[in-house]
Amino acid sequence: MKKLISLALAFVMCLGLAACGGNAAPAGNINDIAPAPTTSTPAPAASAEPAPQELTFVLSDEPDGIDPTVTNNSFAQYVLSNCFEGLVTYDSTGSIVPGSAESWDISDDGLVYTFHLREGLKWSDGTPLTANDFVYSALRVLTPATTAQYYSMLADYIQGAQAYYDGTGTAEEVGVKALDDTTLEITLIQPTSFFIDLVSMWCFDPVQKATIEANGDRWTASADTYVCNGPFKMEEIKLGEGYVLVKNENYWNADSVTLEKLTFRFILDTATALTAYEAGEVDGIRSISTADYARLKASNAGVNTIPSYGTVYYNINCSKAPYDNVLVRKALNLAIDRQAIIDNVVQLDATPAYSFLAPGYGVDGKDITDGRGTFGMSPNANVEAAQAALAEAGYPNGEGFPTLQLSYYSNDTVKKVVEAMAEMLKTNLNINVEISSNDWAVYYESVQKGDYEVAAMGWGADYLNPMSFLPLFKTGDSTNIGFYSNPAYDELVEKVMLETDPAAAAELTLQADAVASNDYACIPLYYKTNDYLMKDYVSGVYMTASSNMYFQNAVINK
Amino acid sequence: MAKYFAKRVGMMILSMLAICLITFSLMHAVPGGPFTSDRKVAEEVEAALNEKYGLDKPLPVQFLSYMKGLLHGDFGPSYKYTGKTVNEFIENGFPVSGRLGFITIVFVLLASIPMGILAAVRNGKWQDMLIMAAATIGVTIPSFVIASILVYFFSYRLGWMPSYGLDSWKGYILPVVTLGGYSVSYLARLTRSSLLEVMGQDYIRTARAKGLSEFKIITRHALRNALLPVITVLGPTVANLLTGSFVVENIFAIPGLGKYFVNSVSQRDYTTIMGVTIFYAAFLMAMVLVVDVFYCLIDPRIQYE
Repeated sequence: MKKLISLALAFVMCLGLAACGGNAAPAGNINDIAPAPTTSTPAPAASAEPAPQELTFVLSDEPDGIDPTVTNNSFAQYVLSNCFEGLVTYDSTGSIVPGSAESWDISDDGLVYTFHLREGLKWSDGTPLTANDFVYSALRVLTPATTAQYYSMLADYIQGAQAYYDGTGTAEEVGVKALDDTTLEITLIQPTSFFIDLVSMWCFDPVQKATIEANGDRWTASADTYVCNGPFKMEEIKLGEGYVLVKNENYWNADSVTLEKLTFRFILDTATALTAYEAGEVDGIRSISTADYARLKASNAGVNTIPSYGTVYYNINCSKAPYDNVLVRKALNLAIDRQAIIDNVVQLDATPAYSFLAPGYGVDGKDITDGRGTFGMSPNANVEAAQAALAEAGYPNGEGFPTLQLSYYSNDTVKKVVEAMAEMLKTNLNINVEISSNDWAVYYESVQKGDYEVAAMGWGADYLNPMSFLPLFKTGDSTNIGFYSNPAYDELVEKVMLETDPAAAAELTLQADAVASNDYACIPLYYKTNDYLMKDYVSGVYMTASSNMYFQNAVINK
Repeated sequence: MAKYFAKRVGMMILSMLAICLITFSLMHAVPGGPFTSDRKVAEEVEAALNEKYGLDKPLPVQFLSYMKGLLHGDFGPSYKYTGKTVNEFIENGFPVSGRLGFITIVFVLLASIPMGILAAVRNGKWQDMLIMAAATIGVTIPSFVIASILVYFFSYRLGWMPSYGLDSWKGYILPVVTLGGYSVSYLARLTRSSLLEVMGQDYIRTARAKGLSEFKIITRHALRNALLPVITVLGPTVANLLTGSFVVENIFAIPGLGKYFVNSVSQRDYTTIMGVTIFYAAFLMAMVLVVDVFYCLIDPRIQYE
């Protein structure tokens, strides 16, 4: 028996090491327009000792993976945007700039893109990176066993890609070719005006064949095998806790990188993260709870609000009566007081949305949505017009209107918004509203099946081009879960896809937008913003409207 | 004795099988799957994922192949986290939760039993009042409230301790107090009431009559019997503390096992749900068995059939 007890005790005591997160010196951020890569560290004003160039940034969740060819998880971008560099990248103004490719040419028919890579590119392990690596990566994305979640970003546009994925075509037939070590040629199925925006996505990043062949799926599991090509490289991967990145000396532009160490720490509880920030234990945090937003903003605690290319909206099931009636959808749209939701419910610095298409994409320096109409809506509810539309649809004063089912997914903010919306619809239209919720997996499945009437949704664009929004209401598109269908809209979207002149594409985009918005295809609420906190002694960190955050120009000034 | 253990272990295996089967059926009965993400994944990709993880096969086949892996100690790959295995989650998470839990147990035992004894010995005096008042607060206030208050004062206001993580020994203080708060209070109350009951018994009077010192009476005679109920609740308490608490791990951003246990359910990460549940269940059963063994050490009157 004694033996058994000691065994049990041994079991109890077999405790391993507690992993620790590095306590980097605080770093903060500035959302100003960072200049082109800073080449020198500003000298600290007073202190004789320069501040350690280390920064700790808190993320509110762990990504499901950090393989650029596999994941589409938004929490992966912090590692991917800073450890990898694709052919093109974004500068602090949000413009596409050369990345691994120094320049590129587009053939006159708009079908062939030739990328000229920089000379002497290297992987973080010091081995040379060539155009062949980009070919390998593209083929990896197009292999079903990779389970690349973004595979359609290649398959839908590149010649021979879908056939290769389906097993009916060969690798040689895929339109991604290395002409020599520094020249990469991509051939498209049809002219695609936004292809260069697509190329900025991480599914076009290069991954190293050697490490993947040696380690399989697990190449992302340890820092030693996580070979990358960006400004930073992986120093340590701590499961459930965070990542430690350090400067990558083999990066082509390593001289411009000042930051030596970048720690991403997962803190799921926003209150804990905020305490750590206010106590100076971390330099920045990614998510601010709405309850603290106003106070932090007022006290100049380092709130950065970045417009994000996305819209918060509610899907209306356009295939189901009475919601197939445009007048009913109009009534629902006009009965919502968007400003009240923004000011009193979500309490954000957001702009009311009257269309699903968010502002943020510019042509010739001018946002294409500038001067766009409001489709009869205003920041506040227009009760009379809403009631008139409902009456015209055959439900005067809401009489005879079936109980509206308003569904949402379990989330505190969404819950508050839904309750406010239900109240507005009840009061302004005199109809019954029933609210129901489910956790995301169950909810999303039923919405996809069309088993709903009005459902909370939102869209964050994957790439900075209106084309990332337009398919949402295109007939038959897998993302069209409002089941809206209008041939005029479909035709315009087809035209946008083929149009290579940005200005003409923008014009067509606005026409398409007007068609769907005048049909009230959904209930837009507000345009998304990204808010993060960064201490004021950090400069050079920037975030794009596609929510990618870049630390390569970060400097600690204290 | 050997027969008793064989019987107990046999029962444990049966219970384990039942737990596996029930968990497996329940999680597959819930709608949604591991690949329902916040972004639309193409049907082809979902099909490829299902094929990769064998989710396209009938459920009984999936169950059998899972159980086969389990016999080899393989909890399978996580469906949610590419390239990670459930074994890795447990290997990484349990030591963190376990170390924090072990320190908490030591703290709980060192704090609760002396507090209970002191309260019983000074029954009705101010020491008793004070300890019982504190214990009542500890039992009634939920741990996340205690955590918030502690963090506010000691991390935010005073800056004495970090508000998250276990990077230094200081990092352990607040989580340990939060995690152990309830158990300390509960065990202190239990020790007190059980000791008071024992102190009124005949054999204690006999001991007093022999002229033994009060200290000897309590340590040598009373406590031995008084601790029996304490040990009863200690088993589940130890299992609870060692396997980690989702709330405490969440508040202090501790990379333990609790997070995976809770999040895997909403993420429908089937293998993680199974693996962590099985691990917890086995642990709890083992702890209950250990407690039963301790009974007989403390109280020779207890016999095993």
